[in-house]
Amino acid sequence: MSMALFSSSPPPPTTLSALSLKHRLSFRTQLALFPRKAPSLLLPRSTDNGAGVVSSTATVAEEEEEKDKLEEKKEETPPPAAAEKDVESKQQSLLGSNGAAARAEEVLPPKFKDPRWVGGTWDLKRFQKDGKTDWDAVVDAEVRRRKWLEENPEASSNDEPVIFDTSIIPWWSWVKRFHLPEAELLNGRAAMIGFFMAYFVDSLTGIGLVDQMGNFFCKTLLFIAVAGVLLIRKNEDIDTLKKLLDETTFYDRQWQATWQEDKSSSDSKAK
Amino acid sequence: MASLSTTTSTAAGESLRSFAGLRRETRILRGVAAADAPGSQLRRRQLGVVRASRTSPRLNGRKLRVAVVGGGPAGGSAAEALAKGGVETMLIERKLDNCKPCGGAIPLCMVEEFGLPLDLIDRRVTKMKMISPSNVAVDIGRTLGPDEYIGMVRREVLDAYLRERAAEAGASVINGLFLRLEQPEGPGGPYRIHYNEFSPAGGGAGERRTAEVDAVVGADGANSRVAKSIGAGEYEYAIAFQERVRIPETKMEYYKERAEMYVGDDVSPDFYGWVFPKCDHVAVGTGTVTHKADIKKFQAATRLRAKDKIEGGTIIRVEAHPIPEHPRPRRVLGRVALVGDAAGYVTKCSGEGIYFAAKSGRMCAEAIVEGSENGSRMIDEGDLRKYLEKFDKMYWPTYKVLDVLQKLFYRSNAAREAFVEMCADEYVQKMTFDSYLYKKVVPGNPLDDLKLAVNTIGSLVRATALRREMEKLTL
Repeated sequence: MSMALFSSSPPPPTTLSALSLKHRLSFRTQLALFPRKAPSLLLPRSTDNGAGVVSSTATVAEEEEEKDKLEEKKEETPPPAAAEKDVESKQQSLLGSNGAAARAEEVLPPKFKDPRWVGGTWDLKRFQKDGKTDWDAVVDAEVRRRKWLEENPEASSNDEPVIFDTSIIPWWSWVKRFHLPEAELLNGRAAMIGFFMAYFVDSLTGIGLVDQMGNFFCKTLLFIAVAGVLLIRKNEDIDTLKKLLDETTFYDRQWQATWQEDKSSSDSKAK
Repeated sequence: MASLSTTTSTAAGESLRSFAGLRRETRILRGVAAADAPGSQLRRRQLGVVRASRTSPRLNGRKLRVAVVGGGPAGGSAAEALAKGGVETMLIERKLDNCKPCGGAIPLCMVEEFGLPLDLIDRRVTKMKMISPSNVAVDIGRTLGPDEYIGMVRREVLDAYLRERAAEAGASVINGLFLRLEQPEGPGGPYRIHYNEFSPAGGGAGERRTAEVDAVVGADGANSRVAKSIGAGEYEYAIAFQERVRIPETKMEYYKERAEMYVGDDVSPDFYGWVFPKCDHVAVGTGTVTHKADIKKFQAATRLRAKDKIEGGTIIRVEAHPIPEHPRPRRVLGRVALVGDAAGYVTKCSGEGIYFAAKSGRMCAEAIVEGSENGSRMIDEGDLRKYLEKFDKMYWPTYKVLDVLQKLFYRSNAAREAFVEMCADEYVQKMTFDSYLYKKVVPGNPLDDLKLAVNTIGSLVRATALRREMEKLTL
C-alpha cells in the first residue's frame, strides 16, 4: 500500500509486502542519514512530464512519512496519505515550475563560438590553404553556424551584429561544390535513359539514332525525358510539383470566389 | 501578369479583364480622392462611364438610409464618405474607446489620401531591421527620402479621429452592439437591424433597438456579425499575439525611429516576429496561421531573440487578435456589403490592413453615393458590386505580389536567409518602400529588374545549398 505511492510500480502481491516493508525501513534509515534539503532541490530539472512531478511527490511523501516516527506504517491509510500527496503535489508543482523556471533562466542556450568568427563575420585570413582561401571550409563553417543557431536560437545583439553575406563566396566555388556533383548525377541518369530508349526504339522500329533525331515524336520523347530527369529527382517530387501548381492559383481563386457567385446567380442586374 | 489575365478571363468575364489601364486610373483616383470633389458629375467624367441604376425607383421625400456597423478605420471612412455624399448614415460602434491590438503602421499614402493630421502619428519609422534565423541583421531604409516614413499610430486615437470626422460630416455615431439583421421582405424593402444601444453613462446591457435602413455596410472586423448574417463564409486567419513592453529610456532610444522584423522557424513558421515602437513603449509580438497552439512558444522565442534590446522591460499589456488571410467567399449580398477586415482585405507577407480597410470603406461608400445619385435613389446589388470591382482591380497586383513573396520567402529557414540577404540590396529596398508607401506596383528599369531576378535566384540557390549541407550535419 505504501508502495502504491511510487507511481510507476504496481501494487505488489501481499507475499512480497513484508519483504518490501523491511526494505523500506532500511531505506528510511538511510534517508535519515542524508541531510535535509529543501524540497525544490529534489525536483527533477523539468517538471514538464507528469512522471517527473509524481516521482518528486513520491520522494516528498517519503520524507513526510519519515517525519512520522519510524514505525511500520502498514496502516498508513492511503486516504490521508493520498490527500497529503495531493496537496503536496500541488505545492510541489508550483514550486517545481518556479524552480524549473528560475533554473531555465539561468541556464541559457550556449552561445555560438568559433575562433574564426570575428566581428560578426568569418575572418577569411584564417581559412588560408596553400596561400589561397579555402572556400569549402568557409561553407562548412557557415553551415555549422546556421545549424547551431537553428537548434539554439540566440538573441540578436547590437554590439556584435552579424554581417556575413554568402555572396562573398565566389560563384565558381558554389558551382564546383554543389552544382557539379548534381549535374553529374542528372547527366548520368539522362544518358542511361537515352541509351536505353534509343536501343529500344531502334529494336522496335529499325530507325537508327541519327534518323530518330529527325522524327518529331522522338524529339518529344527526348524533351519529356530531359524535363523528367530535371524535375523529378525523388518520388516525392511528383506530389510536390502538383501542390506547387495548385498553390500558384489558389490565392487568385480565393479572391474570385465572390465573383463566381455573381455569374451563377440569376438576379437581374442593370449592367 | 499574363497568367493573371488568362485566369481572370475564365472567371467573371468582363469584370476583371485586364489591368492595362490600372496605373492611369490610380493616379487619377489619387487626385480625386485628395480633392474630395462632392459632385458625382466630376467623378463620372474622369472615371469614364459610371451609371446609376436607372431602373431603381426614386425615393420620395427622404434620403437613402445606410447603417455602417463597426467604427474602425473602415467604418469611420465609410460613414464620412456616405454622409458627405448626402446619405443618411448611422455608425454603430460597440466600444468607443477600444484599443484594438494592432501593429499600428500606416503608409504615407494614407496620410495624404485621408488628410490625416500629423499629430495623429506617434512615431515615424524610417529604419527597419530585418533579422534572419541566423541573426544576420540588415538595415533597410537607406533609400527613404527625408519626408518619407512609416507612420505608427495608436488605434484608439486614429479610430476616434475618423469617427469624429464622420460625425462632423453628418453621420450619427451610436454606441451600440449590432446583434443581427433581417432580410427585406420584398425587393426594395428595408433591412431591419437589431442592436443594443448603450447609454452614455455606461454600464448595463443596453437597450434593445431596431432600425430600418436601405443598405448595410459591414465594417465590424475579423469576427464580423454582418458577415455571418449574410452567410459570407469563412476564411483562414492568423493569430497575432502581442505584448506591450515598457523598456528603459536608454533602450527606447534605439527604437526611436526603428522597427524590427525577426524571421525564423523559432519565431513563426509562416509569419514573422516584430518589435514595433509605440508612443512610449514597444510592442513585441508574433503571429501564425498553421500552428496557433504554439503561439506562446513563438512569443517566448521572439522575446529571446530581442532579449538584449528589451531587457529590463516590464510587460504592461498582453493582447491577441485574429487577422484574415484572404477575402471571404462572399463579400456582397443584396444591399449588404463587407469592407475592411470583415471582408478579409489583409495583405500576405506584411499583414497590412489599416490602409485597405479605410480605402475599401471609402470606395464602398462612394459606390453607394454614386449609385443612389447622392441619396435620392434606391440602390441595388449591382452598385455594391461596382465597389468590389474597383477595389479588386486597383489592388489585386499588390495583393498578388505580396502573396508570391510570402510563398517564396517564408517557406523555410533557407528561404528566409535568402530574403534577408536580398533586402541588403538598395534596389530591393527602393522597390519595397515605394510599393509600400504609395501602394503602386511600379516595375522599374528592366535591366535592374533582371539583375534583381538573377540576384534573387542566386541567393535562394546558395541558401538552399547550405540548407542541404545542414541536413547532412548533426551537431
